[in-house]
Amino acid sequence: MRQDPKTLGRRQFFRALGGSTVAAAAAVASPMGATEAQAYDPGNDETKARYRESDHVKAFYRTNGYETLKKNTDPASTGPK
Amino acid sequence: MARMKFLCDADRCIECNACVTACKNEHEVPWGINRRRVVTLNDGKPGERSVSMACMHCTDAPCAAVCPVNCFYTTADAVVLHSKDICIGCGYCFYACPFGAPQYPRVGNFGSRGKMDKCTYCSGGPEADFSTAEYEKYGSNRLAEGKLPLCAEMCSTKALLAGDGEMIAEIYKLRVIKRGYGSGAWGWKTAYRETVAI
Repeated sequence: MRQDPKTLGRRQFFRALGGSTVAAAAAVASPMGATEAQAYDPGNDETKARYRESDHVKAFYRTNGYETLKKNTDPASTGPK
Repeated sequence: MARMKFLCDADRCIECNACVTACKNEHEVPWGINRRRVVTLNDGKPGERSVSMACMHCTDAPCAAVCPVNCFYTTADAVVLHSKDICIGCGYCFYACPFGAPQYPRVGNFGSRGKMDKCTYCSGGPEADFSTAEYEKYGSNRLAEGKLPLCAEMCSTKALLAGDGEMIAEIYKLRVIKRGYGSGAWGWKTAYRETVAI
């Protein structure tokens, strides 16, 4: 059976399909044009310092160091450790 | 610039787990996740020691080094945080962390564990401060309120210290100077004679 020269034959069809698939895969795998991975940057507003030595925080330091910080400033103190 | 640190005074920790409970309650941490836990060594034996452990907010954090999607970032307070929107739940950070801090909501294989969850030093996440989205994903933001992590503030024996690294180091140094450390601590030889040394 003769094939119409204007239509694509079965073998030509798969050959064309295979060629385009290889070209697409090469384009995906190619490092050309790929951007380098960037570390997540939430912005200056979210990374800014939030800690401040408020009265609440000072009270925490004072109570946690009450045995030591307080007595350290009071040389007359000789209580149990 | 102050650097936020945790320090657990093992001579004071009595393994009451109040820090664990406080953390879970404050942030409404779901079942199966403990951002903080108490580890006990030599349990029931002379020389027993307990240490409260959570994310230690490392300077050169190994979790951030291995994360394939770079979801970690460090704030100006030296607190290591992450974005749950970017996390893919691969579990690499769990393997990299020497403290076992990263936790996952589900047990599963690669990619099926859900978003990683860990201690935020009570400082929320990348969302806007005090927003609903921040609270749902990361819990409350006490640092922005001018407070410190609740685990440390709740500690009944004042074993767990939190805050500016230089400040809590100073408190701990003065404690050690006063009382000694381990087998050199006041009362140690009365309790254990001289047969147990740490």
